[in-house]
Parts: sequence; C-alpha cells; structure tokens
Amino acid sequence: MREELHRLREDAFNSLKEARSAEDVLAVRKKYLGRKGPIASLIKELGKYPPDERREAGAEINRVKREIEDEIEALLDELRLREREERLKKEKIDVTLPGRSIPFGRLHPVTRVLEEVEGIFTSMGFDIAEGPEIETDYYNFEALNIPKNHPARDMQDTFYVSSDVVLRTHTSPVQIRVMETQSPPLRVIAPGAVYRRDSDLTHTPMFHQVEGFMVDERVTFGDLKGVLSAFLQRLFGEGTPLRFRPSFFPFTEPSAEVDIRCVMCKGTGCRVCKETGWLEILGCGMIHPEVFRSVGYDCEKYTGFAFGLGIERIAMLKYGIDDIRLFFENDIRFLRQF
Amino acid sequence: MLFSYKWLKEFVQTDLDADEVARRLTLAGIEVDGVEDVTPEITGVVTAEILAIEKHPNADRLALCKVRTAEGTYSIVCGATNMSEGDKVALALPGARLPAGIKLKKTKIRGVASEGMMCSEAELGLAAESEGIMILPRNTPVGEDIRTVLGLEDSLIEADILPNRPDCMSIRGLAREIGAVTCALFRDKEVDFEEGAVAVDDKVKVSVEDTELCRRYTARVIEGIRVEPSPPWLIRRLELHGIRPVNNVVDATNYVLLEYGQPLHAFDLDRIAGGRLVVRKAVKGESVTTIDGRERPLKEGMLVVSDEKGPQAVAGIMGGKDSEVSDSTRSILLESAWFEPSSVRRTSRSLGLSSDSSYRFERGVDIESVSTALDRVTAIILELAGGTVARGMVDIYPTSYRPEPIGFRVERAEALLGVELADGEAENILERLGIRIQKTSITGHVKASPPCYRLDLKREVDLIEEVARLKGYDTIPETMPRAPIGAKEPGRLFELKKKVREGLVACSLMEVVNYSFVARDTVALSGVREERPVHILNPLTEEQSVMRTSLVPSLLENLKSNLSRKNEEVRIFECRPAFCMGEGGKTEERWKAAMLLYGYRWGVRWNQPREWLDFYDMKGVVERLFESLGIEDGVAYRRVVGENRLLHPGKGAVVLVDGREVGVLGELRPDIQERFQFPRPPYVCEMDLEALEEAVPEVRRYEPVPRFPESSRDIAFIVDEEIPFADIMDSILKLDTKLIENVELFDVYYGGNIPAGKRSLALRIIYRSAERTLTYQEVEDIHSRVAAELVGRLNVKIRM
Repeated sequence: MREELHRLREDAFNSLKEARSAEDVLAVRKKYLGRKGPIASLIKELGKYPPDERREAGAEINRVKREIEDEIEALLDELRLREREERLKKEKIDVTLPGRSIPFGRLHPVTRVLEEVEGIFTSMGFDIAEGPEIETDYYNFEALNIPKNHPARDMQDTFYVSSDVVLRTHTSPVQIRVMETQSPPLRVIAPGAVYRRDSDLTHTPMFHQVEGFMVDERVTFGDLKGVLSAFLQRLFGEGTPLRFRPSFFPFTEPSAEVDIRCVMCKGTGCRVCKETGWLEILGCGMIHPEVFRSVGYDCEKYTGFAFGLGIERIAMLKYGIDDIRLFFENDIRFLRQF
Repeated sequence: MLFSYKWLKEFVQTDLDADEVARRLTLAGIEVDGVEDVTPEITGVVTAEILAIEKHPNADRLALCKVRTAEGTYSIVCGATNMSEGDKVALALPGARLPAGIKLKKTKIRGVASEGMMCSEAELGLAAESEGIMILPRNTPVGEDIRTVLGLEDSLIEADILPNRPDCMSIRGLAREIGAVTCALFRDKEVDFEEGAVAVDDKVKVSVEDTELCRRYTARVIEGIRVEPSPPWLIRRLELHGIRPVNNVVDATNYVLLEYGQPLHAFDLDRIAGGRLVVRKAVKGESVTTIDGRERPLKEGMLVVSDEKGPQAVAGIMGGKDSEVSDSTRSILLESAWFEPSSVRRTSRSLGLSSDSSYRFERGVDIESVSTALDRVTAIILELAGGTVARGMVDIYPTSYRPEPIGFRVERAEALLGVELADGEAENILERLGIRIQKTSITGHVKASPPCYRLDLKREVDLIEEVARLKGYDTIPETMPRAPIGAKEPGRLFELKKKVREGLVACSLMEVVNYSFVARDTVALSGVREERPVHILNPLTEEQSVMRTSLVPSLLENLKSNLSRKNEEVRIFECRPAFCMGEGGKTEERWKAAMLLYGYRWGVRWNQPREWLDFYDMKGVVERLFESLGIEDGVAYRRVVGENRLLHPGKGAVVLVDGREVGVLGELRPDIQERFQFPRPPYVCEMDLEALEEAVPEVRRYEPVPRFPESSRDIAFIVDEEIPFADIMDSILKLDTKLIENVELFDVYYGGNIPAGKRSLALRIIYRSAERTLTYQEVEDIHSRVAAELVGRLNVKIRM
C-alpha cells in the first residue's frame, strides 16, 4: 500500500506539473481526490488492515492527500493570478482620449484683482466701504476741493445725468461719505466702478478703482509711503523698485504719483513704459485741508492720506494684457484664462 | 505742452542736457512725457566762402563759383543770383544729407562738374520757400557745421503741466522752475526800445467797466508798421511748438505767448471805431464775428472788448474778424490783460470756443507780468515790422497785486511729512522758489510771501509741499502708521456679492463685466417691471446713452458677440448694480446678479451626451446658489403671469423667498431670440441682491447627521398636468413632517399609455425618525396615508 500511495503521489504531482490551466488542475483533483478516485479507494480499503496498522495507514493516506491538495491549491492560486493578469491586460483603453469635460466657472480678471487688492488692505486693517455710482456734483467734485468752473475739472471728462448729477469719475466721493458719518481714526478702502468720457486703447468709459484713505492724529507722508510701498510690494512682488513723484490732485496736498519699475522690461525701457523704465501705478497724497473742512474735521488735529488706483491697469500689468477693451468684450476665450 | 530746450536755455544757465533736466523736472512734479531731438537731419553741410563767381560756359542762367572751406576749394554750379564774392554760404558736399531724405552726389551740370551745392533755407528745411541761396553773416567762420552755426541743435521737451502750475506754461516760467529745481541761475530778458513822441493816450482811449472780470488792461500803439511774413527763426520756433505762422505781427504775439505765457492780441487800430475801446459785459442781442470767420451770438454778461460799433473781441478768448491784423494794416493796438479765470472758462464753454489764449487765462496768468510781456512783444514787433511806438502804455490796474504772507511752521512741515528738516533747510528751498521769507525775531515764526506768479501757493500746506517736492520725495523715510486695531464688517451686501460670485463660479458660470450704459432700445428689453431709465446727457455714442435697468440685455449682447466668434457654449453671469429713476427724480441703484445659459450642456464631446441646456439647468443654478447662501426654507417658484417683455410666458418663473419676490428666471421670449438671431433659446435669470440679502440667514445651524436608518418607498401615479409639482410636494410634506424626511422626483412621463392632459410622476419618499428605527408596519402605514392623501386631495391615479 505504501508503494501504491507513493506512486499515486508521484503520478498526481507529475500530472499537476503538466497542467496548463485551472481546468487541467481541477481534472487532476477529480481524478486523484474524487469520490471514485484512487485515494478514496485506498481509504475504503483501510478496513482490511488490522486495527493497529489501520491508524498508521490512515494517517499516511491523509498526509499524501493533503500534500496533493496543497499542491493543487497553490497551483490554482498561481493560475488564477496569471489568468487575471492576462484578462486585465486585455481590458485596455486608450488613455490618450480626452477626459470628460467638467464645466468650470471663472471670476472676471477685474474681480480677481479687486479681491486681491481688498485682501492686502484688509490685512493691514483697512475697512471696506462702498458708495453710489451715480453721484452728486457735490460729492464728486465740490467737497473734494474741485469747484465749478475750475480747470481741474478738465482732468476728468465727466458724464452728466443732470447739471448737478454725474456718473462718478473716481471712488473718492466715498471718502467724503465715510468722513461725514464717522470720526477718526479711519482706515478705509472703497472699491468700485467709475466713469470717464474717454475711449481708446488705454481708456474705457467705465473702469474700476480702489480708493483708500487713512485719517488719524499724526498720520504722515512717511506713513503714506510706508503703507503704499508695503501694498505694492505685495501686489507686484517683494523688492519691486518704486518711486514717489510730486503731482497734483485738488484733494491732496502734498500730492504724489507712484511709479513702479516697469514689469515688462525691468527698467531697460520698452513700449509699455514709453522707454522710461517706470510705470505710473497710482495717485496719492495727504488729504487737503479743504476736504477736511468740508466734512467738519479739525485739520490742525487730524492728518490723513488718500490714494486711488485703477484696477484694469493693474490687471493689464499683472497678466500682460495690452488692450483695456478686452475686459469689457467678455469673450469666453479671454475670460476662461483667469 | 512743448518746450524748446534751446529757448529755455536763453533764460536759465545750465550745463545739464535736456534728458537730465527732464528727469529732474519729473521728480520735482513737472512730468515730462518725452524729450525729442528736433535738430534737422542735416549732415555734411559746412560754412564756406565764395571766392569767385564766373559765368557757366554752357548756360546763361547758371553761375560757376569757386568756394573755399577749411578743407579746400570746390567749384560749384549754382542757379541763384543773390550771392556775391566774399559771401559766406552753407555748402553741402557730396555725401551730405539734407532734410526730406535728399543725399548729395557729385554731378555734371551742362557739361561742368559741380562738387557740391550751396543751399537755400528751403533746402535746409528752415523755411517753406526761399528765393536764392542762404547768405550767412560775413563774420561766419568757414568749415563749421551749419547746425552749430545756425543753432539748429535743439530738443523739444514735452511736459504735462497740471492745472495748479499755470506759471510753468511758458518758456520763461518753466525755465524759472528749472532754475529752482536744479539750483541754476535764472536770467530774465532785457527789453529795450525807443518810444516815439506822441503819447499813447492821444492815439486811443481805453476804459474798463468791469474791474472784477478784468483786473488789469494794458495796451500800446505802434504806427507805420509793415505786415509781412516772419523770418525763418521765428517761424521755426512757432512751428516747433505747434503754432501755424501767420504774419510778423500775429507771430510776434504768439511768440511772446509761448515765451511769457501771456496771451496778447493785436487790433488793427484803424478799424477801431472812434479810437476807443471799452472792456465791458456783452448786452442782450450782441454778437461778434471771430477771426475764425464764425459769427458768435453773445450771451449777456460775457466779457467783451468793444469799440463804438460793438464787440471787437471776446475777452481773453478770440479777437474779432473786423479788427484783425491784415497785410494792409499800418497801425496796431497791442493788448495785454488779465481776465478773470472762471469768467473766461464759462464764456469759453458756453461758446464752445477755446484757444491757446483762453486755456491760459482759465488757469490764471501772472498779473504782474502783463506789462512786461507787452513790452517784450512791442520790442519784437518794432524789430520785425518797423514802425514807431507811441509814448507810454495804457495800464488800467486799479487794485495792484499785494502778496498775502502765509504763516509757515517748520515743525508742522516735519509733522506732516514725517521727516526731520535741517536748520534753515525749508526756508532755503522756499527762497529758491522766489518765496520771500521773513522771520519774526521774537517768536521765530516764519512768514512766507510767494511770488505773484505762484497762484497755487495759498496755504501753509502748499508751502510744505514745495519743501517736500524740492527736497525730494525719496528723502522722506517710509514708516508704518501706528493705528488701533479695528475690525468693522464690510456690510452684508458686500459679503453677499462675494458669496454670489463664488456660488455662481462654483456652478460653472463665467463672470462678465459690462458697461453700465446701453442703447436706448436695449434698455426697453429690461425686466418684468416698467422702470424709468436714467439718461446720460452727454453720451459718447448712442449705444452708451442710457443706464441699464437690468443686466440681462448686456448678457444677451455678450452671447451675441460670443456666438459670432464661434464660442457656442456660453454660461455667464454678471454681478453689478442696475439703475433707474426713483421717486422725486432721484436715481436709484440696486445690485443685481444676472445669469445666462446657452448651448449644449456638456458641449460637443466624444463621450458626453449632446443635450441642450434647458429651463431646469437655469433653475438648478438658482437652487444651488440658494443652497450655498444658506437659503433653504420658504423658496417658491411661480409662473410669471401677465405681460413680460423678457421671458417666454409659459417658461418663465418668479422666484420668491418667504413670499417676497427676489428674481425671475426662464427661457428668453422667442421674439427677442429672433431679434438677436440666436439659433436656440437662451435661459436667463436675474436676482435682486438687495431683496435676497434679507433672505440670507445671519447664522447657519448644523443639523445632526441621522443616527437611525431610513426606509424608502416608491410611488408612481398619473395626475392632471395642470397641477404644479409644488402642490403635490406640499400636500405630501404637510402630512407628517416628522417622519417624511425627503421626497425625490425620479421620473416624469408623458405620452404612451398616459392620457392626454395627464402626466405620470414617480416619487421616492424617504421616511426616517430621529429617535428610533422605524418598523416595517410604521412605514407601510404612513406610506398608505401619503397615497390616500394624493388620491383624495389631488385625484391622482396610483400606478402599480
């Protein structure tokens, strides 16, 4: 019996070696380990042995049976694995086909830059205020020290709704509106749309501005420089060279214009900076005593600074846009880039 | 404004070049836009002496000249006759370049070689026409570059003179500023001429009726002049500065206008009726024909200079045709005056007439220089046109200028600027600007008296600016203000706008920004309600003449322009105010958010269904927006009733929150779709953000995530299609809001075996209790109540 068992084991292992598929393996299992297979017959024959030999023989048969079974399981696992790998290889797709499109939205570049500017100033403790776009002559001009029939009115071509009502030419009226209702200390920015009667490559009749101002005791021109310098460094990058240059605005004194080193040519001179190496970026100054007077502030006690910057201009510089009208054409191919 | 650098240097002694002066001016507040080299493009032209003139052997009209330069002797064939031996001339040698791109070569003229050309003024670009060649003064050295000899090397500085600095609107004024800025010496012109024997008062009588509007009027009379074209140098200067030459008299007045900034006018004295001029306000019905040939009816109160017949000039703006200087003029009256700026500006606006003269009067001329400029122009005219000037000057100047000293505190300057000033630094700077400084010995206080031409210096702060400007803004250290911490809220509307933008971007819409003004017929498309639009009095174009009352028409325009560029998937929104006329003629602004959807839902892709966007996409955006804003309860959609100019009557809805209208949405009316030629209907929506603001909850509360499982049951039924789905929902939700968690519509079906006028709906109802797991029987019970309610209340037919 022992020899037979040994032979059976050899045969089974040999058949398994030749098995090429799970089916072959299962056939081997059926042949050797099936109910009518040789192992089963050996077990049936166990009764013929004397009891003391029976146990030993039974253990022997079971050992061989388990050996064959283990071998079969191992082979099956291996074959299943191989078959799965092969099947997966056949399940291929063209990974270069375009992905399913997921529609997306975008904020307008003007909104993006406005939010960036608002973010920088709010981080410096400025509050946000807004005002109407249709303004009275008083808030847009008179209270800002721009009297009627003054040549300073030529600096901004104005749209009129009536002799006394205009489309605001700057966001500076918000300065007056805030100061009329609140007392210093004040740190406020006023973002919004403004209108000027002008239309060409660099001017649109509507554009956006952020006006900002700070009023307190002992606010200095040095503070104005410090705050705007910090702002511009954050907007255009640390280390951007800038310069403050005297200018004129009726509502500030002293007044300044701030230039940054041209972002296109880095100062060597190009078409964008008109070969000067500098780009005018904002207007500012110390709030004029006449403006304080019109809101009833004591101009000996309080000082303050104000500034205004054009958002489209900044967006143009940041994104390298050369025609301001693109902002208002609203071409999807333009808008989706921001 | 343009300034010849060479001319500037006649007044200021500086070795700096034009570019450096430009840079220094810019940093001192006079912004220079550019410096242009205006030296004529002449090379290879040198001064030469004519040694001999002979006849050309083969041509009667030509001469053959021997000409000497420092280099050698040349023989030149010449057609001119105005030269003689010993004359100094401008000789162009072979290889020379002349203006207008002419390059000179050696040539043969009638068989004789010509080794160069003796140039005329026209050939050098110095005059439009000239007769004969240019003869230079006899003492001119030979062999010199003609550009140096004639002083043609020049640069033109283009500076932006802002309205606060009228004193810089002249060569003399800007030179004075350059002097102050660069610490260079300013030299005024010496003016000298001889007066005739007859007194001016015997020639003309001048009176000023309104000494407020005309605070100074000066005049001189010159007789026996010859009016003729100006010499080349004068023409060139005027042309460089953009002024067209006319004749020597008019050109001289324009020259001094440029040089001194003082507008001047010359009247033909013989045409002044009665030899009498009055500066007065125009009376009703008067008019004047100005020198541009147009008759201008005058309004009462406009200031005129009049003779006995009537107005001869609109004061400070333009002279009259009648007394204009012409070729036959023999005697002139020269006017130099000071007219009140705002009066000139009003009149100029009202007549729609402005001039170099009015531009300067509006900004303010130096009242003290009125007579100086008159003398300067007198001297030039005497030189150019000859004649005799009458003795003395008419000078009506009842209240002469008295400087108003301004108190100046150095410590105030330091406090405002945030910089320490050295001892005497501020005073020094002010003195450089011609400001007179007086120190009170006891208090040490400074009184500063600005010069009469600095009309902008009225207050202490103006002087502080001068100190900062000349000291240099770059010398003021950057500091950070000390300020209390504060955190004001920007306001609910501001926050809402931000959230709406974010919410709509998350719904895959692109933000657009449009002009607030639209065409008159576009505004008629707006909205549900009839609103009175705000009109612009002076629009740039008809397309931009009315403030929009709704944002939707702009979005339709955006769709149109995108479709024309083959952008066929358009999902856009705008968040901006709309405007209308409110009660009592007051304008109103309300912030809106408008949306537009158009095209395929997924575009045209290989693996996505080609489906058109529809009403429910638009509604989905609104629902998602509300969800992101935290608006959950009380939202209702009602079909629009009555006339709507914008929406399809069957496919438009009013959006309500807590019964309050917050917006509309729906399919665009087919007639508007046709008008824009859209191939498919766009879907639009407009929300009133100020109405929405009230619906947005202040705070959001968390809802616990359910702990017990749900049970769901499906129910399908046939119902009359006139019954809105919202009613079906309502009747289910009214039943038992505690156990019914949600109702999901998962099928809507028409046609097939469904009778006409009916539709089949399939709902999944989610039941759940917050306290326990519902038993099978509990769910069955309530579900049958739902079925019974639908049958009983809405007469539905349950499908099995």
